[in-house]
Amino acid sequence: MEIKSTDSDSFRLVYENCYSVLIRICYHVVYNMDIAEDLVQEAFERFYLKNMTFPSEDEAKYWLIKVVRNLAFNHLRRGRRETQMVEKVRLRASGGTNTRDAQVDLDENETRREVRKAVSELPENLRMVIILKEYGDLDYKAIGKILGISESNVKVRVHRARKKLEESLAGDEAYVY
Amino acid sequence: MCIDEALLSSYFDGELKEPYKSQTEEHLAHCAACRARYERLRTISEELRSDGPDEAELNRNRDVIFSRLEKKFFAEGGRKPGFWRKKVEFGLGSMITAAAGLVIVFIGGFVLFGTSPEQTSDIIPSYTIQADSQNVRFVSSDEPRGLDGYSLEEILSYLDSRGYNVDISIKGLQPVE
Repeated sequence: MEIKSTDSDSFRLVYENCYSVLIRICYHVVYNMDIAEDLVQEAFERFYLKNMTFPSEDEAKYWLIKVVRNLAFNHLRRGRRETQMVEKVRLRASGGTNTRDAQVDLDENETRREVRKAVSELPENLRMVIILKEYGDLDYKAIGKILGISESNVKVRVHRARKKLEESLAGDEAYVY
Repeated sequence: MCIDEALLSSYFDGELKEPYKSQTEEHLAHCAACRARYERLRTISEELRSDGPDEAELNRNRDVIFSRLEKKFFAEGGRKPGFWRKKVEFGLGSMITAAAGLVIVFIGGFVLFGTSPEQTSDIIPSYTIQADSQNVRFVSSDEPRGLDGYSLEEILSYLDSRGYNVDISIKGLQPVE
């Protein structure tokens, strides 16, 4: 089905089907719900304003993922310093009422923190591939289309990313070859 | 021989094609070491996937953001992308045709209507082009020079420039008494 980004029905359809995958991917790049939501909203705004026609729903989805990925990485590049300042203000403004988050922080076990550290430390090209694979539930072909690389390149990158993750997560968990 | 790690990673993602897929399955059935590696891949994937907020948390503002976008773009009186934002695309063929058309029209203009001093004086009376076949004459009066018109030096340097090796001897001169 052809998707016209300014058509109300098409827009709704794409939004309904893509929102959760976009927010999940975006969250795992920026690790912040508020920022992820802002960026996803911006991606949909661009989607509308571009006034484009896509041959299929999947094509529209890939386009949106591409935009969200760029927005998220640009956000990271703009500097952590800025983000941290915003966070500080936010925390002060909320006056420590978000006890749920604090609880989550407490519950956040060692593994989880290690996982984030390991993923964040991956070079950008490997990181995006593994995020799209694990959080976007996309196959190699789709990932290749989104990143503009070949399917076999995706295969290699996924493997390399896993290898690196394995190395940095090896820590206490012993495994045998 | 055990399975290549990249192959195992592809198998894990369900991207391995036959016959490699069933060969891998067969191998995994009796090789404990490879099974352990496969389990390791699964653990990493599970660790990654278990990180981050759950679906409900991820979609907390899904409807809010949609209504925000809807209000902005589709509500009564909402702004449609203007004419200038519309993406206009041309194929190479049509662009070449258009360019050729422009050239023909441009040249055709001169061929059909030409330029005459009368027209110019109609448009800009104070600036009439005088250059016409009637009032332009050649001022150069170079008659073709005979060999006598050149000095010996000029002839020699010309011959030298053409690569001739010139030998000059003077005969028949009577000493001056």
